[in-house]
Amino acid sequence: MVGTLLLAPLISYLTTGHRGREPNFIDRAVLFISAPLQAVLTSSIETVGEVGGGYLALRGAHQEAQICRVGLAEAHAELNALREAEAENARLKSLLDYVEDTVDQEIVARVIGLNPSPQFQSIRINRGEDDGVRFGMPVVTAEGAVGHVIRSVSGSADVMLLTDPQSHIGGVIERTRVRVTISGAGGGRPLSLDLVRREDDLKDGDVVVTAGSDGIFPRGVRVGVVRTPERPSVSMFLKATLEPSVELNRVEEVLVIPVTMGIPSPLGLGGKR
Amino acid sequence: MRFFAFSLLALLLLSVESVLVKTFGFEVTRIDVGLALVVYAALRCTTVEGALSAFSVGYLLDVFTGRPTGLYPALAVLVFLLVRGAGVVVDTRSRGPFALFVAVATAGHAVLAVFFTWLTSAEGGQVFSLSAVPLQVILTTLAGQAMWPLLKKIEPGERPEPGLLR
Repeated sequence: MVGTLLLAPLISYLTTGHRGREPNFIDRAVLFISAPLQAVLTSSIETVGEVGGGYLALRGAHQEAQICRVGLAEAHAELNALREAEAENARLKSLLDYVEDTVDQEIVARVIGLNPSPQFQSIRINRGEDDGVRFGMPVVTAEGAVGHVIRSVSGSADVMLLTDPQSHIGGVIERTRVRVTISGAGGGRPLSLDLVRREDDLKDGDVVVTAGSDGIFPRGVRVGVVRTPERPSVSMFLKATLEPSVELNRVEEVLVIPVTMGIPSPLGLGGKR
Repeated sequence: MRFFAFSLLALLLLSVESVLVKTFGFEVTRIDVGLALVVYAALRCTTVEGALSAFSVGYLLDVFTGRPTGLYPALAVLVFLLVRGAGVVVDTRSRGPFALFVAVATAGHAVLAVFFTWLTSAEGGQVFSLSAVPLQVILTTLAGQAMWPLLKKIEPGERPEPGLLR
């Protein structure tokens, strides 16, 4: 019996490798119990933090309010300018018969836990199949890309972060439009930029956005900033790291974009993993 | 019965850990709270009960990764057997040896996890690092010590007979 307990999962791992499996009844039961527990713990910690932070925030609140008023006035001015630009943009698009890609409303989700294993980089969110979250959907914040959904059950879903070693997405250098591949390098390490040719123009501080060519992310989502580009003397490609726009291990709220862009489920079940 | 106690405790601890890891923004390392349970089960339970408990702890960790592959149940049972074998020659009734076993088991578990992940990964060895293991060992050992009073409550009344596969 002990041998079975050892060999059965080991053989399963060695044969299916990193692909994972469809959540079974036990997995769903575990997630059904643990997700609400994680949500309650997260809320409790945040409440305690807010109470403590609220008291500290009162100190110097007057000065902060003055700064905010000035900032608000500036933001209003900027908003008005943007509205004008938007109206102009709409007029020009109608002149060109441009059809806007329509995307359903994003799903707002709260991060309720971080995967406790260091080999896989993933987070758990409090929205799942019941809310329309499906396998393969991209997950972002206002700052940029976070990852994509790798498992969704009734009330929660797991999201593979960009930093996971198995994460590879397509990107574009915003300044030069050079295409790159962005790969995860594990926890605590920056992302790596792959397949950038030696002759391409790449500078420290260049912004990288998604290319929309990986079947995961739509085009133009900010991913990060290029750091320490190097030209090795013998390689065809440049070496560079990418500092993510989002602090992935501290992200608290995310948006799930309800498109799957044709990414297949590992078990071929139509993406409803 | 203790199998269920271990499973429930593991579920609770992993849920708490996942929230704490998120709250404190741990990037590099994790705390293997489940391993302390596996080591305790190896030292204090019968073979079948302990192996089932270890499998269940590993299974839960596997589910928590978001991408269950079977790696962690297998490693948990492997660690269980290795600790059980070593427990034959070391007196493990007090906190000190338990801490030592947790530290060694954490290091071994981390190395095996990296090895098997590397073995089945297309990216090769360069993306998996062992640099975080020392911190992981320290944190898990401290967590094991903090859990000691709790673990004593699910200790069996009688110690099992000596022998590797008893």
